[in-house]
Amino acid sequence: MSAKDNLSGIEKIKTASDGLRGTLKESLQDELTGAIREDDQAVIKFHGMYQQDDRDRREERAEKKLDRLYSYMIRLRLPGGFLTPDKWIAAHEIAGENSTGVIKITTRQTIQLHGIIKSHIKPTIQAFNEAKLDSIATCGDINRNVMCSAHPKQSPIHEQVFAYADRISTLLMPKTRAYYEIWLDNEQLLDKKEETDPLYKDRYLPRKFKIGIAIPPNNDIDILTNDLGLIAIIENNQLIGFNIAVGGGLSTTHGNHDTYARLGTVIGFVEGEEKTLKTIYEVLTVQRDNGNRSDRKLARLKYTLDRMGVDSFKAELEKRIGFALQPARPFSFNQRSDYYGWQKNDKGDWFFTALVENGRVLDNEQQALKTALLEIAKTGTANFRFTGNQNIMVSDVAEKDKTIINEILERFNVAQYTESASLIRKNAMACVALPTCPLALAEAQRYLPSLLTQIEALLGKHQLDNEAIIIRMTGCPNGCARPYAAEIGFVGTAMGRYNLHLGGDRQGTRLNKLYKESLNESAILGELDNLFGLFKKDRHKEEGFGDYAIRKEWVK
Amino acid sequence: MLGEPKLKILLDLITSSSKEELVWMNCYISNIVANGTKESASSSAASVNSPTGKKITIAYGTETGNSKRMAAELAAKAKKIGVNAKVVSLDQYRLNDLTKEEYFLTVISTQGEGEPPTAAKKFYDHIHNNGFRLEKLKYSVLALGDTSYPLFCKAGEDVDTQLQKLGGERLVPIQKCDLDYDTDAQNWFETILRYLNNNNAVANATVTVSPAVAKKVNTKKQYTGTVLTNINLNDKGSAKSTYHIEIAAEGLEYEPGDSIGIVPKNPMLAAESILTLTGTMADKNIIYRDISYTALELLQNKLNISHLTDRVVKRYASVTGQEIDVPVSDLYTLLKTFPLKDNTQLEEVLGILNPIAPRLYTVASAPAAHNEEMHITVARDVFEVNNEERIGVCSAFLGDIKIEDPISFFVQKNKRFKLPAADKDIIMIGPGTGIAAFRSFIAERDATGANGKNWLFFGEQHFATDFLYQTEIQGWVETGVLTRANVAFSRDQEKKVYVQHKITKHGKDFYQWLQDGAYLYICGSKEPMSVDVEQTILEVIELFGGKTKEEAVQYLSQMEEEGRYSKDVY
Repeated sequence: MSAKDNLSGIEKIKTASDGLRGTLKESLQDELTGAIREDDQAVIKFHGMYQQDDRDRREERAEKKLDRLYSYMIRLRLPGGFLTPDKWIAAHEIAGENSTGVIKITTRQTIQLHGIIKSHIKPTIQAFNEAKLDSIATCGDINRNVMCSAHPKQSPIHEQVFAYADRISTLLMPKTRAYYEIWLDNEQLLDKKEETDPLYKDRYLPRKFKIGIAIPPNNDIDILTNDLGLIAIIENNQLIGFNIAVGGGLSTTHGNHDTYARLGTVIGFVEGEEKTLKTIYEVLTVQRDNGNRSDRKLARLKYTLDRMGVDSFKAELEKRIGFALQPARPFSFNQRSDYYGWQKNDKGDWFFTALVENGRVLDNEQQALKTALLEIAKTGTANFRFTGNQNIMVSDVAEKDKTIINEILERFNVAQYTESASLIRKNAMACVALPTCPLALAEAQRYLPSLLTQIEALLGKHQLDNEAIIIRMTGCPNGCARPYAAEIGFVGTAMGRYNLHLGGDRQGTRLNKLYKESLNESAILGELDNLFGLFKKDRHKEEGFGDYAIRKEWVK
Repeated sequence: MLGEPKLKILLDLITSSSKEELVWMNCYISNIVANGTKESASSSAASVNSPTGKKITIAYGTETGNSKRMAAELAAKAKKIGVNAKVVSLDQYRLNDLTKEEYFLTVISTQGEGEPPTAAKKFYDHIHNNGFRLEKLKYSVLALGDTSYPLFCKAGEDVDTQLQKLGGERLVPIQKCDLDYDTDAQNWFETILRYLNNNNAVANATVTVSPAVAKKVNTKKQYTGTVLTNINLNDKGSAKSTYHIEIAAEGLEYEPGDSIGIVPKNPMLAAESILTLTGTMADKNIIYRDISYTALELLQNKLNISHLTDRVVKRYASVTGQEIDVPVSDLYTLLKTFPLKDNTQLEEVLGILNPIAPRLYTVASAPAAHNEEMHITVARDVFEVNNEERIGVCSAFLGDIKIEDPISFFVQKNKRFKLPAADKDIIMIGPGTGIAAFRSFIAERDATGANGKNWLFFGEQHFATDFLYQTEIQGWVETGVLTRANVAFSRDQEKKVYVQHKITKHGKDFYQWLQDGAYLYICGSKEPMSVDVEQTILEVIELFGGKTKEEAVQYLSQMEEEGRYSKDVY
């Protein structure tokens, strides 16, 4: 346990922040810099924003006597990743007005905008607010956007499960009114007691906290990478409850052997909404009271869990919830892919999942996706859902409207692009990395597309085009694009260099392991060429690349 | 000598008279003594010799406000001695009144290419159109100029010549003034007042006038420096290019607030294309204004080939015997569209052209902070001529200048734009390249440890790309040299926000600073910036000083008289 006098700097900032207000108002008024004060940079995360700067421009701007090109990324709170058409139109317009124009679908089923300069933050948040959208608690040491298996065709009980995402999100919202005061100019609270927060108190959580809900057999949201995963248990088409998995989390630090990626441990089963929500709430309080508050690199729930031991953790949890968890129910996953193209659910509504490479919604030479989605939204006949694989689903389309929607998808080449993309491209993910992410050591979303083109050629060479190998890349070891849960994972170590990880399974129930360190592009392609050759020659029927890597003991 | 009653009358008269009246009386009595007859002296003195009752018109043509200021000053002086002086700007002058004028004084400046100020253009053209006579007119011209320009006081000379051609009678010869025009102008006016007093012959007046400034082109000390740095301060995506150029030179003498004058060169390509077009060898010797140059040297370094004045085009038309009825502004197009009779005519045509005029840039460095260096802040000057985008010759020249390139320049003093004593507070309003003067001021105050407070206002289009000298300004705020800094970026939001809006926003403090004796400076574009800013300052004085409009104007002119309000606008 962290001694009080050994608290990390961020802990002190949180408790001194006056309910996450910090000195944000003063920071916003400073005309001379695009940055906000240092402490406020920690505080603003709880409001759903990161201060970033364009790292590509640093050197040249310094020469021009210009400060770094600071801007802000803002991430929306969209439990389960759902938007009505009017909200999509609002997001589209706000993106064009105040940001780079690209709408980025995140790996956690929400959207974020980049490149918002300081003076545009308030107008942006106010515009979102008018569209009934907010960014509360989408970053920071707090419960983040709640994920949920995306595709309604997954099960007739999808809607029922999906509703949980919203309820959990609301349950775990911070009570402070700071967001409304700072960004929406609401009156200051006279009585601070009104915002007393029994869950987060004044310290919030030791570290970020991620919750997801999966509906087997598809593990599209990588449920076991969440701090807290709920696995829906369905019997006879009825939702009977959830298995509870705790302690997932992927972020590590290069050279720090105390850090590790970990998949969640299933500790039991709960039934009924009340008990489920109670359990979730108290998992947070156990972490709140037991998490490491002096070393942020060891503060996630996974370390708390391993330090306490799974049994003690469970005992502490049961003490707090006042009932015993039932034994976990059997479940199994068989894939993590999105259902691309047109699909129908049990009610007869249609859903079109479009491939969005690295989640970047824009118009480019391949498809005019952004325009197409706007046109579709304008018809008012489709909702939008985001998947954990950074794709978009044009959803809830009635049979009678399908022709019109399809015509739009074809007119802007969206249908054709998704149709013709290779399997590996459809299953790949990359994080933002350079130029805006301050943590990035190497490129990711700007580089992976071209690397995939070369990997496609290698697969073609070995006649492996039909292999849906899951390939993911991040620019640092923090794991935003979940590279440790990929069959082939690339983790940036320096410009142009990546650790190559192998051996994850296709369902997301086994982490991969480090195969080779700090490879450049030609070394990566050389290795893969060789490995694909061996795989083609020697694999068992239906054996995945990740499974083969384990059987061959390429990684230990 | 005088008896008691007479002495009393005289003393009463003296005590009750103003200084000017005493001067007049002195003059009157000397006349009587000189002429020996009381009668004649009495009548002439009363009716003619007295300037009282005479009407003079002082018409000014101004670009930067100097001519206007001078005209107003002279008129005030005239009024004090009972001369009825009317002051009018040439752009508001009723041209028909010219034939009715008796005493007509013109104060007029000259622009870079020998042109009159825009405000005087109509008048200038009118008097060049002949077709009328000015038999009654008695006139004189005060020409303001800058000896560093080859066509020094050209507009004033033209007006002087032309009024004579139209039949006007020259009261006193033209007075041409350099930038430090005060003394020359006052002397010129004294002579006129003396003339009005004596009604003396015109010709004789010449002897009493201080001689017109000789045409001393580029007599200012020329420096040759080396370019150390040339950076475009605007980031990618900006609509603007603003070059920060650092020049090293030995033995530099300048102060914050001064300017440097640079004679640009024409682009090599432009010069060569003219040589090719006219089949002229680059090394052909050509005499221009008594000096021999090679054709290339002349075209590249000496002659203004990119912005031809109307006068030049007219002369070209007559030399080549063509009618030119379309607007042409550069030599290449002129030669191409209206070819020479034959290529041997080129030398004659080049003789018509004006030399390249120097451009002045307010210094952005400070002697105390930037040893042996001068810095300038140059905005790339993009404008339209006949619907074509053009780039100012000097800003193009400087924009392209490379590190290690040699560069010639001179220092242009500006006595009217100087830092006050170290303990005085200053407010600096310098949007756009106006920041140059204040980078100099602040750097100087920083380096010398001046303890007065400093408040800067800066503005541009976009925060992200156009915040000139941002990191330096941030540094000065952090170290406390800048007490306050407010910036406005006009195009970062729907509604434009300019420096004057920031002044309004902080009006209360702004007024308090003025009340506490702060010196106020504006540097940058004359219009609309300096006009709008001044208007806002007046409003702030009115509002926070609880004054009427008139009192606010009075407050500001009082500051100006005390040397606490200065502008360097262009």
